[in-house]
Amino acid sequence: MKIRFKFTRSGPMRFIGHLDMMRYFQKAVMKSGIKAAYSEGYHPHQIMSFAYPLGVGMETDGDYMDLEMTEDCDPEGLMEALNSVMHEGTYIKEVSVLSDTALNAMASVEAADYLLYIDGDPEKLKKAVSLMLDMKEIAAEKSGKNIREGIYEAYVSDDGNAVFLKLSSGSKLNVRPADVFAAIRKCDETLSLRMIKRLEIYGSEDGKLTPLIKCGVAK
Amino acid sequence: MKFEDRTTALPADVLMRVDKPARYIGGEPGSVMKDEKDVKVRFVMCFPDVYEIGMSHIGMQILYGMFNSYEDIWCERLFSPWSDLDKIMRDENIPLFSLESGKPVKDADFLGFTLQYEMCYTNILQILDLSKIPFYSKDRTEADPIVIGGGPCVYNPEPIADFFDMFYIGEGEVRYRELMDLYEEHKEKGLSREDFLRAASHVPGIYVPSLYDVSYDKNGRFTGMTPKYEDVPARVEKQLVKDMNEAFYQTNPVVPFIRATQDRAVIEVQRGCIRGCRFCQAGQIYKPVRERSAENLLKQAQTILKNTGYEELSLSSLSTSDHRELKVLLETLIGYCNENKVNISLPSLRIDAFSLDVMDKVQDVKKSSLTFAPEAGSQRMRNVINKGLTIDDILNGSRLAFKGGWNKVKLYFMLGLPFEREEDAVAIADLCNEVAKVYFDTVPKEERHGSVQITASSSFFVPKPFTAFQWARMNTPDEFIAKAKITKQAVRNELNQKRISYHYHDCGTTIIEGIFARGDRKLSASIEYAYNHGAVFDAWTESFSYEGWMTAFKETSVDYEDYIYRVRDDDEAFPWDFIDCGVRKEYLLNEWKRAAEASVTPNCREKCAGCGCAVYGCGVCTEKRS
Repeated sequence: MKIRFKFTRSGPMRFIGHLDMMRYFQKAVMKSGIKAAYSEGYHPHQIMSFAYPLGVGMETDGDYMDLEMTEDCDPEGLMEALNSVMHEGTYIKEVSVLSDTALNAMASVEAADYLLYIDGDPEKLKKAVSLMLDMKEIAAEKSGKNIREGIYEAYVSDDGNAVFLKLSSGSKLNVRPADVFAAIRKCDETLSLRMIKRLEIYGSEDGKLTPLIKCGVAK
Repeated sequence: MKFEDRTTALPADVLMRVDKPARYIGGEPGSVMKDEKDVKVRFVMCFPDVYEIGMSHIGMQILYGMFNSYEDIWCERLFSPWSDLDKIMRDENIPLFSLESGKPVKDADFLGFTLQYEMCYTNILQILDLSKIPFYSKDRTEADPIVIGGGPCVYNPEPIADFFDMFYIGEGEVRYRELMDLYEEHKEKGLSREDFLRAASHVPGIYVPSLYDVSYDKNGRFTGMTPKYEDVPARVEKQLVKDMNEAFYQTNPVVPFIRATQDRAVIEVQRGCIRGCRFCQAGQIYKPVRERSAENLLKQAQTILKNTGYEELSLSSLSTSDHRELKVLLETLIGYCNENKVNISLPSLRIDAFSLDVMDKVQDVKKSSLTFAPEAGSQRMRNVINKGLTIDDILNGSRLAFKGGWNKVKLYFMLGLPFEREEDAVAIADLCNEVAKVYFDTVPKEERHGSVQITASSSFFVPKPFTAFQWARMNTPDEFIAKAKITKQAVRNELNQKRISYHYHDCGTTIIEGIFARGDRKLSASIEYAYNHGAVFDAWTESFSYEGWMTAFKETSVDYEDYIYRVRDDDEAFPWDFIDCGVRKEYLLNEWKRAAEASVTPNCREKCAGCGCAVYGCGVCTEKRS
């Protein structure tokens, strides 16, 4: 039975890298005593996969981990068991049972929402964001690819201290929030990025962007 | 306060600029938070190396757990900031902080260093420097913490004595409570630092260097040490746990977020060793051997695994094969671990039918290599060092292993041992060749999967205090290299040379380690000089500079050769003579003489050699003999 967990990460735990997060979840599974399935072979490991690596320094309100279980179990009970051994700063907030044919978390990713916390003048920020949206071409730092069409939404929050982004993600066009900020900063160099928080990761159901917790769910 | 609501001691922008920021955030599962208002003593415990190394040390985990089990004490951790953060802290004037509270180290009551190897000495100064605590004990005031050192290096603390207010000689479980009570009493009464140091010198195991006068002869050679005051003891007794089953054990260790060097649960099987290898310091200073019962160990293993979620368990001791309940211990552990999907990482066991069977049960199909530590190539040399391993043990063990499907063997040796001759360096190659020959004689051609691979490596010998070789002369770098070259050439001359690969370690750090191991107080000036000229992280080859150290000795007028390049007189006074570590000097001298004759001394279980440790009345000294 495949289970999808939606988790959050906040506070100092954001300074942990992706591989260490995986090790952290493996330990939590061991501690909780839930019946995770193991791979075959000489180095059996828990069959666990993550939707999208969380960069060092990032917080999240909605990241995903899939875990295979040896037997059918009550998903709410699993969530409770894991949360009882999880460390302060990471919590599981939702859980769903996947159908046997569901795509794994990583292969499902289509888009993600972000909040970029910015230090700088709110008016300047608003102007820079709208200038950025007027650009026809925005190059990704690493690949040089034009990522402009992958920026689905970008607007400044009411208090003027953050930018909301909806970005194309996954194998087709992966837009990194840091690249978008680099483009904003090109429009105004007084702005600086304090922190990135991922808000949600989407897959696709019936051609519509849908939070991963509702993708591939068993009927 | 919950971890997610805490602010890190370092600002986020600093954390984002350094490698592995999780080294500096604290808050790991198992770490202990207290309210500063609720405790009387803040004890900052430092392992003066990078986080991943320090967090792998079980001694620190034990003491952390023990201290924090006391309501009135908050023990916090501290590690050496890596060079990237070091630079930022200096440039931006950020004071060094402890991981738990994030508060400046300087404001703590105690700053304790665990000293596991000599090459960390410059890192002590880095910690003091970044904490803005004066290097020298004599310059500290009531505003500074009490700086205390412990661990194996304190069996000759003299090279760093001037940097410390006190040392704790022996196992930490025994006297810290008493020392803390004394400190609290002094703090409440508002007594001075000086008063506390004086009173602490009366606590068994506590050595306060500033309370002793050191004398030298006209050539600057150490001649003795005397207490400045009548009430200060002339000898400081090592402290040890008498019953390991009663001792505190940390079953809820701090689990690092990032991968530590030893990323697994650890149980301490026993302390001490019955084998009196003459080069080995640990074998003497942790005497007598004291076991934990198999029952107790199994319980500890289960609790630690449940508390931490580790997927691997390892067993720690100097010589696990000598544990009397090893068979039942391993069998139950393997059963438990298999059931719970935990891997066992086996310690190096004496190779025999039993250990091969055990390895068969836990190792995967790609059989990893077997390890032997003959330490010397010839039987005569093995007798000199009292390594009770014979050629038959090695060859029979290899034969069994090859039959069992192993075909990789690792062999560890030392070069530069006392009484070593050219033929002994050649004998290393001969032994490797013999092992290869056993393979070809044992395994028929059609059953060979790949061929036998023998990896031999040699390190260079460093004489250590409280060993039979504390009188020995150390080899010079040229002598070390010449010997390694003899071995290397001899390997090339062997029939099975293609199956043998031989490596030797660098000898620069070995020399510096040798100087600190048997040096005296004059060296603190050299260490300070080296640090001020850029030496730090000397245990890391990329940052170590031999030439830098040579300059430091020259500029501080320290005749370092006198510490290492001569055989010491039988009746010479040693800087570490003031320590009573149970093992008497006469016994060690006798062992030194026996080494010269290549005579073997039986191990503690075979026959008591009368080393002096029987006075403790515990461990192997009180075991019933058949």
